[in-house]
Amino acid sequence: MGLNCYMKFSINKSPKEIAGYTNWQKKLILMILGGSLGILGVSLICLNFGVVSIHPKEIFSLIWNSSLDKTNSLIVWQLRAPRIIMATLTGIALATVGGAFQGILRNPLADPYILGVSAGAALGACIGIALQYATGYYLASYLPLFAFLGAMLSLYLVYLSSKISYSVNSTGLLLAGVAINFLFSALITVLLALSKRELHSMIFWLMGDLSTADWKKISLITLPVIIGCLLLFFSSLDLNALSLGEEEALHLGVNTGKLRMRIFFIGSIIIATVVSFTGLIGFVGLIIPHIARLLIGPDHRVMLPASALLGAIFLILCDTLARMVISPSEIPIGAITALVGAPMFIYLLRRK
Amino acid sequence: MSFHSPILTIKGVSFSYNHHREILSDINFSLSRGELLGIIGPNGSGKTTLLKVISGILKPSKGSILLLNQDLNNFSIEKIAKFISVVPQDTWVAFNFKAKEVVFMGRLPYISRLKGETLEDYRISREAMKKTHSLSLSENNIQEISGGERQRIFMAKALAQTPQLLLLDEFTSHLDLKYKYEMLNLLKKALQEEGLTIISIFHDLNLASIASDRLILLNEGRIEQIGTPQEVLNSENLQKVYGVKPILINHPDLNVPQVIM
Repeated sequence: MGLNCYMKFSINKSPKEIAGYTNWQKKLILMILGGSLGILGVSLICLNFGVVSIHPKEIFSLIWNSSLDKTNSLIVWQLRAPRIIMATLTGIALATVGGAFQGILRNPLADPYILGVSAGAALGACIGIALQYATGYYLASYLPLFAFLGAMLSLYLVYLSSKISYSVNSTGLLLAGVAINFLFSALITVLLALSKRELHSMIFWLMGDLSTADWKKISLITLPVIIGCLLLFFSSLDLNALSLGEEEALHLGVNTGKLRMRIFFIGSIIIATVVSFTGLIGFVGLIIPHIARLLIGPDHRVMLPASALLGAIFLILCDTLARMVISPSEIPIGAITALVGAPMFIYLLRRK
Repeated sequence: MSFHSPILTIKGVSFSYNHHREILSDINFSLSRGELLGIIGPNGSGKTTLLKVISGILKPSKGSILLLNQDLNNFSIEKIAKFISVVPQDTWVAFNFKAKEVVFMGRLPYISRLKGETLEDYRISREAMKKTHSLSLSENNIQEISGGERQRIFMAKALAQTPQLLLLDEFTSHLDLKYKYEMLNLLKKALQEEGLTIISIFHDLNLASIASDRLILLNEGRIEQIGTPQEVLNSENLQKVYGVKPILINHPDLNVPQVIM
């Protein structure tokens, strides 16, 4: 088509000339290597912390040979390791989706919960807890199912309301999400007000909890999280364009309506899957993408993977703190993420 | 596509939001390659709406738009992006990208999402920055430079998009005299040497008069007059559309009308 015909080049092809642009692929590979080593290192260290103290030497030998000491092997392999892996996957999911939602909404205050899916999950879980106490049936193992159905209901309602709204742009989606959030939160408040014995379980669910992590749950969330996040990474260039504005992105050939719906659906399904098992762990999805941007810039091609890695490391550390601070009791991890994250974030902002 | 066939033809185009009051009514004109068409008119006369209809963001409620003799409706927005680029009035960027990264986004329509960008894309971006005298801004954060500097970066981005038709919405509003002059020279060169075609909205009637081959004077969504600056900028038209009676003099060097209050 000769589309480039009018642009004539007067500059040399030497790599130095284009050196003005940093090689983002190289940056990405180095970052993934560094981040993965970081996750591995932090995991190995955090395996050592717990109510029962096990000598690091023994832990290392248990990793290779689990038949050495039955009790300690059980603690490492059935309690600590699943929690660390669950924290890794949850951190990856929350931070990546948070970054992607901030991108489609062009709003740095967005988090994975802003588009309503979490409120739906929370309502589902609280209904499950209330039913358990009301009917006497043991429903605890079905709570994730309740939560997931609630999340899907809210996803559908947000989608419908954003379609009805006159302006099908990011504001329309944001307002629909906020409205559904308020509606579901109000229903949760009603449930909380009516509840007696079940109040404690509900509150704990609402603040997030990784203590119930096991290998079965991990096997259920691994694929949705990994595939979902990879799909989000593939929209990075389009998300970059969207930060110039709705119309500018259209001028660059990005179908913004489709992009927004695609990210909304993929992100919401990732979050629904994760929070159904972990409850609402706050702050990670809001703050980690900001930290990633401060550290390596806003280009979504590197920012989203960086968020994923940082989110994982951050949540492993927070969960270890949650287990340790008032051990043998636990602090809800949602409280730790904010207590640790907020000062860290303010420090980074000031340094910048 | 022969050189003399019109690059853009607008036939009986009207536009309204939800069948309310028409914002554009019965717009007709065509544009040949290498031409700079200026759009002038008072606030709310439909200038920006006309630009959005041409760039495919808004669909006309009546009439048709032909880009290279094909109906614009047959073009996907991905395809339009390879023909038309736009320098918007609002240049706010949500996240703090570096200026060179913003310019590079102009290459997006050409980048395969699977294969990624090529060296060519980087070279074109860099060349576009050179042309707009914005290379020195490369490493600056886009949220931390002035409005005029941002306009130059967005101009570079639009050129990096290697369009055949460039749409400008008030692109000089934040530029100082020096850059106004340099941008005009850059555009003239692009028109003459590279066959670019430009439609630009102007608030500054004198700049419009100097820069444009032809002018469209819009009034309440209709074309009041279309023609050379000499034909359009007369006191009768200006009084009718703007409701003031300015004094018109002839530019001593360029022989185009200039408006003084």
